[in-house]
Amino acid sequence: MSKLIGRILATEKSPTTIDEFNFWTNSDLKLSAFDIVKVEHIDGSYTFGMIENISHITDAQSFLTNFISSDFGDVNVDEPTLRVGMNYAKAKVSFNSGNLYTPVHNNAKVYLASAEEITMALGLDRIQNPLVCGSLRMYEGTPEEVTLPVHLNSKFILGPEGAHLNISGISGLAAKTSYAMFLMKAVQDRYQGDDMGDSVAFVIFNVKGKDLMAIDRPNDFSSDNPGEKERTYAEYKALGLSTDPFKNVKYYIPYTNPNSAKQSTYLTKAEIQDKIGADQLKKFKYVYSDDKENIEMMFADIDDPTQTMESIISKIIDKEDNDFGGLSTWEQFMDKVTEKAQRGSAGDKGDISVLSWRKFKRIVRKALQDEMFANRVNDKGPECRLADELKQIRKNEVYVVDIAKLPEDKQAFVFGDAVRTIYNLKLGEYDAESIDPPSRIIIFIDELNKYASKDVPKTSPILREILDVTERGRSLGVVLFAAEQFRSAIHARVTGNCATHAYGRTNSIETSAKDYSSLPNTYKNMLTRLEQGDYLVQNPIFRSILKINFPKPIYKQFKQ
Amino acid sequence: MIETIGKSEDNKIMNILAEVTGGKSYKAHKYALDRSERPSVDYGPNEIVWKRRAETTPHKTYIDLSERCKTLAGQDDQILCYFLDGSRRIFKVDDMAYTQSGGRGVIYPVVAGQIGVGCCRRIDKRVNSARFKREFVLSMPDVADADGKSGFWPATVKKLNECAELKRLGIEFSTILPYKTSKNDDKKYEDRATASIQDRMIEREKELVAELVRGGMLNQDNYLVKDGSLEYRPTKEDKSDKRKYQTFKNNYNWVIGASKNFNPEVCMDVYGKPNPKFIADLPLYHRTPVAEYENDMLGDIKFAVWYIRLRDKKQTRTPFDGILKVEKILVTEEENEHGIESELVDTLSAYLINERNPVCYGSDLRWANHIYPIYLTESFVKSRYLSTESFLHLF
Repeated sequence: MSKLIGRILATEKSPTTIDEFNFWTNSDLKLSAFDIVKVEHIDGSYTFGMIENISHITDAQSFLTNFISSDFGDVNVDEPTLRVGMNYAKAKVSFNSGNLYTPVHNNAKVYLASAEEITMALGLDRIQNPLVCGSLRMYEGTPEEVTLPVHLNSKFILGPEGAHLNISGISGLAAKTSYAMFLMKAVQDRYQGDDMGDSVAFVIFNVKGKDLMAIDRPNDFSSDNPGEKERTYAEYKALGLSTDPFKNVKYYIPYTNPNSAKQSTYLTKAEIQDKIGADQLKKFKYVYSDDKENIEMMFADIDDPTQTMESIISKIIDKEDNDFGGLSTWEQFMDKVTEKAQRGSAGDKGDISVLSWRKFKRIVRKALQDEMFANRVNDKGPECRLADELKQIRKNEVYVVDIAKLPEDKQAFVFGDAVRTIYNLKLGEYDAESIDPPSRIIIFIDELNKYASKDVPKTSPILREILDVTERGRSLGVVLFAAEQFRSAIHARVTGNCATHAYGRTNSIETSAKDYSSLPNTYKNMLTRLEQGDYLVQNPIFRSILKINFPKPIYKQFKQ
Repeated sequence: MIETIGKSEDNKIMNILAEVTGGKSYKAHKYALDRSERPSVDYGPNEIVWKRRAETTPHKTYIDLSERCKTLAGQDDQILCYFLDGSRRIFKVDDMAYTQSGGRGVIYPVVAGQIGVGCCRRIDKRVNSARFKREFVLSMPDVADADGKSGFWPATVKKLNECAELKRLGIEFSTILPYKTSKNDDKKYEDRATASIQDRMIEREKELVAELVRGGMLNQDNYLVKDGSLEYRPTKEDKSDKRKYQTFKNNYNWVIGASKNFNPEVCMDVYGKPNPKFIADLPLYHRTPVAEYENDMLGDIKFAVWYIRLRDKKQTRTPFDGILKVEKILVTEEENEHGIESELVDTLSAYLINERNPVCYGSDLRWANHIYPIYLTESFVKSRYLSTESFLHLF
């Protein structure tokens, strides 16, 4: 039998409505926002509501009443009688078991709901293609505490009904990467079998340290309390997930000569050798003849109002061009650019001024000094072109591309190139050379603000790629899982096209932005206090925003 | 099928009363007779005679209790556990004409009231309801009973309660109280009716106190604080049986009365002169010496009475705000002879002074004289009334 916790309040000033109701409870009862309560309604039906806010009031008419009650300001006075006080909670109607959405009646009984009722009230009982996205906990800290797995309809996160995930939250406290990895782990588990119609592959960008450079190794929980491992494993099992880390993982790091002092990765030489030995790691290179088209990616952050950079790039890409058409290495290319940038150069007949060439040279020269811009790929060694590898991605495979140690412009270059390749792959441009790409490819990138913030120049080729992915990827099968600190800084067309939003802990400056205006104030304030591992999740199939929790990562963690 | 709204006129209470008593109902304007509750000094005549000091220590002037208050506040015990308050809401509901000698019709008001008596118990600093009684009463002129036979009023009430409308609403009138219409009292009829209902309420309060005593709930660790004066008149039945009379007095051994309003003129100083200034000048957290008084109207019951100041004069509007009049019945023979133990008076006073917080400032104009558990009890009783609209609609 459900526990009776209070009664409905309906007054002239605060009536119950189709949307919401208030009820009183004992002041000591532990309830929290997002808890579901059950209210008796007409025809034997029950109306369910989600708590939005809880207020405590007393019969004191003003602050002055309380002040006077302490002998006019004596802080040591204790009262022999406690002032009459009560809690009342405001709840939003989420569901009625008899489809009767008339307002609930005054003094109607309010109960805690059972696990089945909560599932029904949130609309979680009839989810097709279920994909676990965390667990929700109700009535925390009471004997009635309920923990339930929460499932999404995978067609609403991986397409075709709805796609893309946006995770926001401040660094460190929100665990954005961990949540994205948890979801991807759930997807990989789910699509491991052949029973699903779709096949999924993952392309993950490692942007920080070597965080994601050992996702196929189990977490040793060495920095956690004893017993944490068992607890975490139990949570994974309760959610219906395996306790294995990621499977079929391949790592790609920017090429550097093994003997160079400077390496473009945070992995140690031993770790690199180890992974190469296991046939898991390759170093990627960019070769002039194949990758010159991506030079524009280096200009993602450069303002180009007169579009001179763009004209230079199109001249370079042009196979028929007299100056650049026949070049085959980056060195030759740089020589040519240097020539163009010289005063009174012969090729300076066209509309591109020497000054523009100099600007172009300045930007490109520094970038091309990196060892990953090479003359050719050596087939004998663990080397590759990233685009060639991406074209070969197979079902259930996870590609981790390490760009953590690259400077920002080169990170953009690698990311832009990869997104473009994946998009073109799914568009069918490589149908002739590739065999059967998976039906869904998930791209995960942290720090989306670098590529798709509101301040990025409109001409940015990477922004264009991202917009293409978010706007058309749903049907093509390219799914973007992106994370950023401040959601409000992201281009509206990017966030607008995401079907699923996960809000982690953030600050109050962020929640006062317009993006959050649809959230009730209590939820906004809650966002500033969320624990690590807690998220508010919004998805079209949920009746309301949900507060969920996910377990600790199951793959190897590197101490900071 | 929708129920027919409205009812046949014959069903209205006033029509039934007019028929039974042979009067004519005028369907006059219905309105409330209660005064709003505001702080007031209760002047006017009072036959109470102050006699001698009524405590064991012959104090001559104010007694400082502030240290004792602090000590008691620091302890975690409490002896003031029960709080009782009665309240009534009175309405003039009609005018009724009765033919008198010479065939002339005289108009008398018909008054109806709701009486509520409630008792709350404080456990662990929280006030919970312990007892509640509510009743609906009517007051009519005594001449309405044409025959003057006993049994007329109970029969009328019975008939009234059989009416379909009251049955449907689940409401019953408990009694009809006749008020005297004799000319040798210059009080207005409305006031006489009000007084009869007030008496009824006091009767109910007495019953409730007796009930608490019989239930063994009151003792030296569980005192009852009653709102208002203890000036209860023992009824004839009370007095007729000696044992019963002693029981009546014993009932009050663990009861103290705390009045917000009092007549300062009645207080005499040590020289036997009325001296309101003596009370007005009472310092904060002090009490006056205990005086004893008896009243012919109240029979041979002797009362001990003293005053305590809860709030600083600087912070109240008049010097009488913030003063509580405390009464206790002298029960034992020893008490009657030598007065109450001064130690007990000090302790009770200190506990009462500690009740000064919290206050009901903002909700009640009499906040300076109110003690919070009594205020809560009063609020509890009032919250159980039938709303004015619903009540007046019965008539």
